[in-house]
Amino acid sequence: MHKYVMRRLLLAIPVLVCSSLIVFGLMRVMPGDALVALMGESGNVGERELEKLRRDLGLDRPYHEQYLLWVWQMVSLNPGHSIFTNEPIPVALRKAIPVTVELAVLAMVLGLVIAIPVGVLSATRQDKPSDYVGRVVAVSGLSLPDFWLGTLVITFAAIWFRWIPPLGYTSLWDDPWRNLQQFLLPAAVLGYRLSASTMRMTRSTVLEVLREDYVRTAWAKGLGGRLVVYKHALKNALIPVVTIVGGQLGTLLAGTVVVETIFALPGMGRLTVEAILFRDYPVVQTNVMLVAAVLVTLNLVVDLTYAWLDPRIRYR
Amino acid sequence: MSTPATVEPSRLDLDAPKMPAAASVAAMDAPATLGRVGTLWRVLKRKPLGLASAAVLLTLVLTAIFADVLAPYDPLAAQPEIRLAAPSRAHPFGTDDIGRDVFSRIIYGARISLWVGLLAVGIGTFAGMIIGLACGYWEGRLDIIVQRVMDAIQAIPGLMLALAIVSVLKPSTTNAMLAIAVVIIPGNSRIVRGTVLSAKQNPYVEAAQALGSRHPRIIATHILPNVTAPILIIASIWLGNAILIEATLSFLGLGTQPPTPSWGLMLSSTGRAFMEQAPWLAIFPGLAISIAVLGFNLFGDTLRDAWDPKLRTRG
Repeated sequence: MHKYVMRRLLLAIPVLVCSSLIVFGLMRVMPGDALVALMGESGNVGERELEKLRRDLGLDRPYHEQYLLWVWQMVSLNPGHSIFTNEPIPVALRKAIPVTVELAVLAMVLGLVIAIPVGVLSATRQDKPSDYVGRVVAVSGLSLPDFWLGTLVITFAAIWFRWIPPLGYTSLWDDPWRNLQQFLLPAAVLGYRLSASTMRMTRSTVLEVLREDYVRTAWAKGLGGRLVVYKHALKNALIPVVTIVGGQLGTLLAGTVVVETIFALPGMGRLTVEAILFRDYPVVQTNVMLVAAVLVTLNLVVDLTYAWLDPRIRYR
Repeated sequence: MSTPATVEPSRLDLDAPKMPAAASVAAMDAPATLGRVGTLWRVLKRKPLGLASAAVLLTLVLTAIFADVLAPYDPLAAQPEIRLAAPSRAHPFGTDDIGRDVFSRIIYGARISLWVGLLAVGIGTFAGMIIGLACGYWEGRLDIIVQRVMDAIQAIPGLMLALAIVSVLKPSTTNAMLAIAVVIIPGNSRIVRGTVLSAKQNPYVEAAQALGSRHPRIIATHILPNVTAPILIIASIWLGNAILIEATLSFLGLGTQPPTPSWGLMLSSTGRAFMEQAPWLAIFPGLAISIAVLGFNLFGDTLRDAWDPKLRTRG
């Protein structure tokens, strides 16, 4: 196991270095200097401020120095200021991250709560009407755009129930009820999308497992249907589902971008979209890099958990 | 020389080269393609959902091609006197905030969505295929480096990467398309690489190498036919995703720019603002996106069932 952990850790480092090069390179495709100049043209920044900005951002230095400087800033957790609001980026992130984490966790939980029972039901009643309903629900989850679903949910909640979720963001610790009202709909929209592939995976693995010998033995022993499905079959069927859920973290984080924009939640996603719209590139490169780092780390954790659960993987 | 006898039986109808290496790629691909179309047709006949998805896609393609003929009005012509009109016989999907016919705009929107989807997936798939073929065939140091780069691209969520690329270039339909293509490359290259790695194990490849065939020829005649089925399956699933990403980018203001009728843009620019007075402005473009994406997803599933049963369990 130690060897496996070490190997995986060593593989993660070049990936992160490559990601940082891609993000950095991307931000320089249109040279940073031109970016700053564009900001000047838009009339938001004066000529003298532009000079200062160039110096502060290190845009007058060679690329390799700029890159190393940026990496150092990221590693020392001091990625500088937003060009636009002049707020230090760590301060902005400290406000945004809890919002996104709460949204993501809630969406994931809701997604699993929908996906696993429906997936099991679909599998145990294969090719019956409830299976078809379950499958259509799942494929729709993959096809309905989340921004559309979000818009519809807000409008129809307003028209039918005369209810609009309270705007903005209230911390869970200050007012849990208000916080729940703000998060429930966005998390449900996001969770529904996530549940789609989990549901499909649960269905197909449960179907597979139900045909195994030990499940037949359990039936032959005269065990009850529920016991066989939930205790014997589901436990083994869930291993591949764990991987799929791990693989969805990217979808989840991307989904927060859209959902936060629609539901006006001040999280990482909205921060990034706004930064992109205003060409606030220190914020963009910090956020994108942060998300990449988080994803690489989480995927590593998922892989290690998986290897720990299933010893065969370590020896591949 | 490769003969069908050297190929494992289960793969015979799918992806095994069926003619000796001396035949040209085109000539060799023809019977294989015919076999595939046949298999697909058999599966389509058995699966009503698959057939329905094929019909949806056909309708979509025809709508995009004949948009000029099908659309009752000019999608850009404003008629302020009938702004926000509810759906009626004259305007089946109603009119928007400056009196443009929503039905005509959705018909023209099919063009943008399909065009972006096809080109993005085309570019992404082609680039992914070249990279995957090179990495899988030669392996070695090049492979290790390229794979890390692909890992790195995949470490950034697709939508976020597309957003970042578009923001650096400039929000436009073409740039959205390029951004989506970049997002598609790593996954495709990985699938192609995996297929190439296993195809290389076949005795007919070894035989061709032993006979002194040149690499490009081995790749084209022996390896490539193995890759086409997975590539087509993945491409059809990606098409739905590409349409979804284009709509999302346009919705966020970073894709197609007004006044061009794009489904995502229609939803964000007028759909959301007038949602309560004129829900049709948001409902119809959203439905159009959903039906198109659903069509591609279901069709992709059907292709997979027909051509590659082994892929079926991968979600």
